Amino acid sequence: MAGNRLFVRRRDGRVEVRLNDAGRVIAREAFGRVVAAERDPTHEWHAGLNSPIDPSEDSDSLIAALDRQREIATNAELAYMTLNEQFLNDPEAWAWLSTLQIALRSTAVANGLLSEEKLATCEPELMNFIRTIQQFLFGLAECL
Amino acid sequence: MTEKVVKTERPWNVVVWDDPVTPMSVVVVIFKRIFGYSNNKCTQLMLTVHHEGRAVVWAGNRDRAESYCVKLQVAGLQSTIERDE
Repeated sequence: MAGNRLFVRRRDGRVEVRLNDAGRVIAREAFGRVVAAERDPTHEWHAGLNSPIDPSEDSDSLIAALDRQREIATNAELAYMTLNEQFLNDPEAWAWLSTLQIALRSTAVANGLLSEEKLATCEPELMNFIRTIQQFLFGLAECL
Repeated sequence: MTEKVVKTERPWNVVVWDDPVTPMSVVVVIFKRIFGYSNNKCTQLMLTVHHEGRAVVWAGNRDRAESYCVKLQVAGLQSTIERDE
C-alpha cells in the first residue's frame, strides 16, 4: 500500500519522492532557511544550530563546533540541491531527514514552543508548517 | 607488599533531551543510524526520552561522547554531554 505515502523505498534502494508542488515549496523553504541560518549569525535559527555540547564548560571544543557546522551545512546544501529530484539515494534521503528535523526543531526553539502546552497555543499558520514537516519526517523515517 | 590503587575514570554520558515536536519514529531512526543499536533498544531509549525528558544514550570516553553528541545535533536532536555521577 504505497498510494498515499510521500516517500517510498524502491527495490533498487532509492527513495522515491512523491511530494506535489506545494510540498516541494515547503521543503524548499525549510532547506533554504537551514542553509541561511548556518551562514548568518543573526538568523533567528542560528543560535539553535549552535547549542552547547558540554553545558558545564564556558565554550565548546572548536573542532567539535566546526565539525557540526560543516556537517549541518553539507546536509542542508545536499538537500537543497536535490529538491526537485524524483529519486534520492541513501545519503541524499538522510540529508533530507536531518535537515527537515533541524528545521522542525529550530522552528520550535525560535518560537518558544518548548512544551506541549506552548505548542497547543501556537498560530494556525505556524502549526500548519510544523505539522507538514512532521508528515514529511514520518514518511522519510519509514524509508530509512 | 605494595598496594596497587586502580583509579577508574568516570565515563562521559551522551544525553538526548525531549522536545514536543520531534516524531518518535524519527528519534528511533536516528539512534539506529548513529549507534547501530537494535530496534528494541532504540525504541526503549526513545520512550525513556519521551517519558523522563532525557535519556543517556551512550557512555564512554570524552572524545567519542563529544563526537556522538555532534552527530545527534547534526541530525537535529537536542543532545549534550555530561560527566557520569
